[in-house]
Amino acid sequence: METSLAPRSLGRPGLGSDVRAFLAVVRREWTIFRRYPSWIIALFIWPLIFPMLYILTARALAGPDGSGLAIFMEMTGASDFIGYIVIGTTVWMWQNIVLWDIGFALRNEQMRGTLESNWLSPTWKFSYLLGPTGPQIVSMSMFIGITALEFGLMFGVRLNGSVWMILLMMLAAIPSIYGLGFAFASLIITVKEANAFVFLVRGLVMIFCGITFPISLLPGWMQSIAKWLPQTYLIHGMRAAAFSKAGIAELLPDLIPLLLFGAFWLVVGYSAFLWMERRARRTGAIGQY
Amino acid sequence: MEIASLSQPSLKTQLRAVFVIARKDWKVFWRYPLNAVSNVFQPIIWITPVYFMGKAFSTNGQALGFAAYSGTGDYMSFILLGTVLSNFILTVFWGMGYALKQDMDAGVLESNWLTPVSRLLILVGRTLTSLLTTAITSLIMLIIAGALFGFKPTGNTLAAFLTAIPMLIGLYGFGFAFAGVVLLMREANTLIDVSSFLVQGLSGTSFPVQSLPAWLAPIALALPLTYGLDAVRGWLLNTQTILPLKVEIALLIVFMFVMLWFGSWVFYRVERRVRTLGTLGQH
Repeated sequence: METSLAPRSLGRPGLGSDVRAFLAVVRREWTIFRRYPSWIIALFIWPLIFPMLYILTARALAGPDGSGLAIFMEMTGASDFIGYIVIGTTVWMWQNIVLWDIGFALRNEQMRGTLESNWLSPTWKFSYLLGPTGPQIVSMSMFIGITALEFGLMFGVRLNGSVWMILLMMLAAIPSIYGLGFAFASLIITVKEANAFVFLVRGLVMIFCGITFPISLLPGWMQSIAKWLPQTYLIHGMRAAAFSKAGIAELLPDLIPLLLFGAFWLVVGYSAFLWMERRARRTGAIGQY
Repeated sequence: MEIASLSQPSLKTQLRAVFVIARKDWKVFWRYPLNAVSNVFQPIIWITPVYFMGKAFSTNGQALGFAAYSGTGDYMSFILLGTVLSNFILTVFWGMGYALKQDMDAGVLESNWLTPVSRLLILVGRTLTSLLTTAITSLIMLIIAGALFGFKPTGNTLAAFLTAIPMLIGLYGFGFAFAGVVLLMREANTLIDVSSFLVQGLSGTSFPVQSLPAWLAPIALALPLTYGLDAVRGWLLNTQTILPLKVEIALLIVFMFVMLWFGSWVFYRVERRVRTLGTLGQH
């Protein structure tokens, strides 16, 4: 019986070759990420400056004597207005970055001219989307960790709650955040110029999910919309996990909708991908710039 | 009538080249009409969290804390004005540096550079359409946002407009220097994104710079845009300005000349270096 240690060829597709293709995509994305060092600088700067705009505006609204802060804290139940704002803005940045990175993963390949040839290979097509997700999750974890470090060191933001509960909320959010990214990636291949759609989705999160304010301040119709956005539950749950002693029982009202939305968006994302793939084969859209 | 050729450069041919660049950008812009819609609604989306956050700091609808810093409790009019001006700031930052990056990626920068058109005029041409479309979309944005959040300018509109002119021209100096850095670094997004965000933020587009912590205030006060924004608000909303209005306008005029000279100098130095290195065609 002939044995071979040679890697399984893509000419004989199977689980092994699909995994190898997936890992190749992961390695490619990581190499591209490291090629432009300025992105790493952004990793340290954006966690600080984006929330800073809202924090400084909050400072101005609070007034020279800080009297407005007492009103804000009473309305939000927050003990730390900086931490309150940082959590909301960080969740927004997470969704925004995923929409650009994962959402444009296929489109970027199309613009580079490599998508068509990749599509012709007998590779599991979804690995082209799934592959960038790995390095993306790693870089986002670094991003969130750096955010916590910077605001902890520079502004004294302290997490009174449990780090494990925060991690649990973030894990529960991954399916919905990345599922939305997969759906976007498929839509963008069809629509081609999709910046406006990214702006729309991240705009919805910005307006309705309470990134800098409690959603109780929204009019009734806006609160109804907020309930249909998974980021609303993520922001609320992370604030509870970070600044109170909330355990799993207290977080369930946020965890359950988050997980349900996650399942929904993963199904939508994968279905959109399959639809796009079928359509692309029929219309030749993959090769169109 | 014979059209003067670029092979006989003159003011007429240079301006014709600028017009051609602007016309090309105009066509490209309207090729994606959704972007125009997005330009109207994006600023409104960005300031909506501030509107609701302001309500969380207000008593009986009055932002008293904000009024103590700025002289007005009407924080949304304050922020809307800042937003309109920051649209123009972004136009110049993105219009120049990003335009070069786009040309690099498309592979046309080198051939454009070989034409007998002034490099600075190429950059200016790349911003003309953006300035016009920004003016249109900002006006529409102001009307819609005014209806949603309230916008009550009670002061001198003409004086405010005239005050903004030296500020915008001085911004071009920033833009020239930035464009030079983009030529050198070849990757523009992060640099322009971060820089424009910081400059906008620290010059007081969303809050009075008087509220900044002591360690940030010197940076804000060193930015000419701070005085531009402050003066325009002083004219339109009768807010208390950092310096007397006449002093701020004089500062803006001085900065205009200084930034134009400095930005051009940086650009030409960098451009000469890039041509020496032969990296103009690389991205």
